[in-house]
Amino acid sequence: MIISMNWLADYVQLTGVSVPAVSLADMLAERLLMSGLNHESTRAIGDDTAVEIEVTSNRPDCLGHIGVAREAAVLFSRPLHIPDPRPLEAGGIAAESIAVEIRSPECCPFYLARVIRGVHVGPSPSWLVERLATVGVESVNNVVDITNYVMLECGQPLHAFDLQKICGGRITVRRATAGEPFVAINHKTYSLTSAMCVIADSEGPVALAGVMGGAKSEIAESTVDILLESAQFAPLAVRAAARGLVLGSGSSYRFERSPDPAAVEWASRRAAAMILDTAGGVLERGVVEAGTLACSPVAIDLRHARVAQVLGIDIPQPRQRAILAALGFAGLAAAGPMAVGNTPCDRSRWQSPTWRRDVSREIDLVEEIGRIEGYDQVPEDESISAQPVELSAREQAIRIASSVLVSAGMCEAITRSVVNEHMEATRSPWSDGMPLSIAPALVRGADRLRRTLVPSLLEARASTLAVGAPHGELFEVAHAYLSRANPDVPLPQPRARPANATASEESILEEPLLVSLVTGGEFASAKGLAEAMLLRLGVGGDRQSPAVSVCVEFRPLELDLFARGRAAEILLHRQTQQGERIGVVGEIAPAVLKRFGLEGPVAAAELRLDRLEWAVGVDRLLQQPSDFPAIQRDINLVVDIAVPWSNIVAAIYSVSHQATGLGHTGNDNILEECRLVQVWKDETRLGIGKKSVVVSLRLRSHVGTLSGEEANRVIESIVVACGQRVGATLRS
Amino acid sequence: MRLWIRCAWPLACRSRPRSRKAVAAVSLDSFVEAIDRLRAEAAGTLQTAADEGALEKARVNFLGVKSGQLKELQKLLSGLGSDDRPAGGKLFNVAKAEITATFALAQDRVASSHQSGVQNAEAIDVTLPGDRVRMGHLHPITQTIRRVQEIMARLGFESVDGPEVEDQWHNFEALAIGAEHPARDPLDNFYLAVARGADPLLLRSQTSTVQIRVMERRKPPLRIVSLGRVYRPDTADATHYPMFHQVEGLLVEPDVTLAHLKSVLRFFASSFLGGDVRVRFRPSFFPFTEPSVEVDMEWGGRWIEMGGAGMVDPAVLEAVGYDPDKVSGFAFGLGVERIAARRYGVADIRDFYRNDVRFLEQF
Repeated sequence: MIISMNWLADYVQLTGVSVPAVSLADMLAERLLMSGLNHESTRAIGDDTAVEIEVTSNRPDCLGHIGVAREAAVLFSRPLHIPDPRPLEAGGIAAESIAVEIRSPECCPFYLARVIRGVHVGPSPSWLVERLATVGVESVNNVVDITNYVMLECGQPLHAFDLQKICGGRITVRRATAGEPFVAINHKTYSLTSAMCVIADSEGPVALAGVMGGAKSEIAESTVDILLESAQFAPLAVRAAARGLVLGSGSSYRFERSPDPAAVEWASRRAAAMILDTAGGVLERGVVEAGTLACSPVAIDLRHARVAQVLGIDIPQPRQRAILAALGFAGLAAAGPMAVGNTPCDRSRWQSPTWRRDVSREIDLVEEIGRIEGYDQVPEDESISAQPVELSAREQAIRIASSVLVSAGMCEAITRSVVNEHMEATRSPWSDGMPLSIAPALVRGADRLRRTLVPSLLEARASTLAVGAPHGELFEVAHAYLSRANPDVPLPQPRARPANATASEESILEEPLLVSLVTGGEFASAKGLAEAMLLRLGVGGDRQSPAVSVCVEFRPLELDLFARGRAAEILLHRQTQQGERIGVVGEIAPAVLKRFGLEGPVAAAELRLDRLEWAVGVDRLLQQPSDFPAIQRDINLVVDIAVPWSNIVAAIYSVSHQATGLGHTGNDNILEECRLVQVWKDETRLGIGKKSVVVSLRLRSHVGTLSGEEANRVIESIVVACGQRVGATLRS
Repeated sequence: MRLWIRCAWPLACRSRPRSRKAVAAVSLDSFVEAIDRLRAEAAGTLQTAADEGALEKARVNFLGVKSGQLKELQKLLSGLGSDDRPAGGKLFNVAKAEITATFALAQDRVASSHQSGVQNAEAIDVTLPGDRVRMGHLHPITQTIRRVQEIMARLGFESVDGPEVEDQWHNFEALAIGAEHPARDPLDNFYLAVARGADPLLLRSQTSTVQIRVMERRKPPLRIVSLGRVYRPDTADATHYPMFHQVEGLLVEPDVTLAHLKSVLRFFASSFLGGDVRVRFRPSFFPFTEPSVEVDMEWGGRWIEMGGAGMVDPAVLEAVGYDPDKVSGFAFGLGVERIAARRYGVADIRDFYRNDVRFLEQF
């Protein structure tokens, strides 16, 4: 909303309020800024000044000069002058010239028409042209300019029709029929929908209600008789038309925010009087009305003590009352025994002015008092009590995973949650369900909620490498979005009131929290990063003994995202529970790399932090390191090529946890570490279908120094176990 | 079963039988001569070795296990006649002990000169780059969010998150955004193609949804910070992106006033920006707070818009089953991209989503 300072002076005289070196416009802008009307800009235009302000959607009254003048009058304690136009009615009876019928009162509660005959349409007087120019409105002709002027004065949009172009002597306010054509003032043809409301004559729409007039009945030089429309249009219908047809106007903007109902009648009078003054003509007697003006002021009780309870400042009751009265609130006889005569009391009752429909509750009155008194009065040294606070398990899990990857030299990316078809072409590790789609698209083509972060990171890697970045080692922590596996399960009904259901119970979808990474390397590089995260989260490690209730298993995985035979799912086994998939890791399939324009090898891993966050809550107790010396022994086992490392480890640990008959206690794990040294294959030396696995074992006791003899016995039993469990023989 | 067990360290200690070569016959005289020559040469070289490099070269030359000169001499021993061999062996052992001792002395000398820096050892170019470790980086948006979380934690605010796909109740109705409110327009939101019954779902347009969810589950007192991604169909430009991050604070307790809000935000601003930062409230309008304010903080002598705030609207408290006469609360929201852009001098917020490593490595 642009305010002309000259125009504003018609309603409120602010001369003398400014201090030297500060212009009146700047002074006003500052005060308006601090009371709720944001200042955008101030520009000198001729001898006038244009002050542009931002008006929040709850204040349609300030979409007119009078509303802003009222605020200024209150802020500077100046009187407000609002004209009371009384146009002379002299012609025939308006109701005999035109009939009005409202067929869709939900779109148009009230319609008021005046008829002026014999006008001279022509250029506007210079004062009018200048005022409109200050506020950025181009002059069209005197009649159209006046309708615009009155809208910018009081916030009520008006429309003038060429009465002779209205066919059938009757206008009908109704919903448009689907596909009904309408030629607007801009001479473009629009196809309407039944959500929109039109003003129609016997031949069809002559205006898109509250949005734009039609070309057929527009005011031209040849126009002689005018139908002046002032009406109430419902926000939803106006918005449907303005947004649906991309036809926003000053009129639709105001109707979407419900202007002052009392202004409907005032604006009609005001415009009629101004047209008579500037374009001549004769105003027919009476008005033509249809419908009922929607205006239902409510009584609001104010407990004066609430002001201090909400704002934290004491404002004396007389000041509270004065502010409300100045803003146009009418004091009513207060309810209850406390209200006696004029004696200040705990409680007072108020009726909002018609232009302040946003004020309907006590808290709204408190806000009015506060904003006029000024929030600069609110103290800023109030203390609050101390309270303990802890990072949630989820937040801790995020930080642990991120810190591992940052330590490993990776950069955190933030990619879009919504991706295009091309990015969702591969299957998700987390769901076989289709991706959910949204409208409109987030950016062009991106209308699918992603089910994995890996493709987004591949794209980011490709784009950063394409611009010559030193590397493309990236990770991200974000949600994926999975539709529920079985859509046939009846869904809980939406709630009108809150119940105690948790988000996951009530949602048709799951939002797993993922940490994903892409790295230029082979399977083992991504697996190493995944393992490091798992270890830090407290669930990793090779040790698979009953004493440890949690273990992680890597199992071969086929997924089109990954190269065949070079990917794994990560399963978490917790006590009696079945293994749960907590992650995937693998080398990206060549076809996928090609799609993203990447050169291989590239490996990726993705973990479900939502399934791991419990682990951060598990207390970690010190495992006292042994002070006794360790014995390191390597064993070279020959096994079938098909035997996985995990089976060998399991065989080795199947021995170590048991008491080895060495006089140590059963809990004393002699085997401290079991490390793979190398794997090699050589048909001539090992035989066909065999591989050699060299394992380094570190033995140590917590209760004494192991003798070589004791160590040999442990190693012997490990080798025996490996022979029994995985068919291993010792290579000499 | 026979075990092949070996000591693990060093791995190379495994000894293998070697094939013996025939050695030519040698006279004791020539052996003694060879020993004397070697002693003289070793003494000269070791005593003048200036640095560790030269010393190591000398060690390999004289004492090297594989092909040092002593080793070669030792091989000659087997070429001596059986009568001469004990004498030759003795001589050899004496020579070996002498050279080893000379080497140890030279080692001490080089090491001490190294320490005192007296010797003109070849100096390294200390301006050459070190072996740098490549460090990763957290995204500047994450760093900004963590900073906000940390400051708010000092005031007892706990970080919470919630679903990004929301229903009408949590995204609008419980926040007092009625059916007619323009914020619910399909063009202003990302609605999902699937709905739950008649209830359309959408990507949340603000993180206030999380506050509703927490208030539904818990009773006051409550201090939370909700954070995460939010979505609004803005055309991407230098200051807008259809996906962005919000941090929202909420406090609900008995007897909370606007003064508490202002004080908490001043504490936040002073902690975040450093120094004693002033905070300014301008009246504004948000459906879920009343009174509503825009929060400005003084930064570099100018008022900078930091976000919106206000007292929780009594209708919102009622919607989650609280009694607005018994508890009151305040809420505030900060646009993370805006703060981060200003903090790091990022002129175009789209840069935050390009994921260019050259950008990410700067934070």
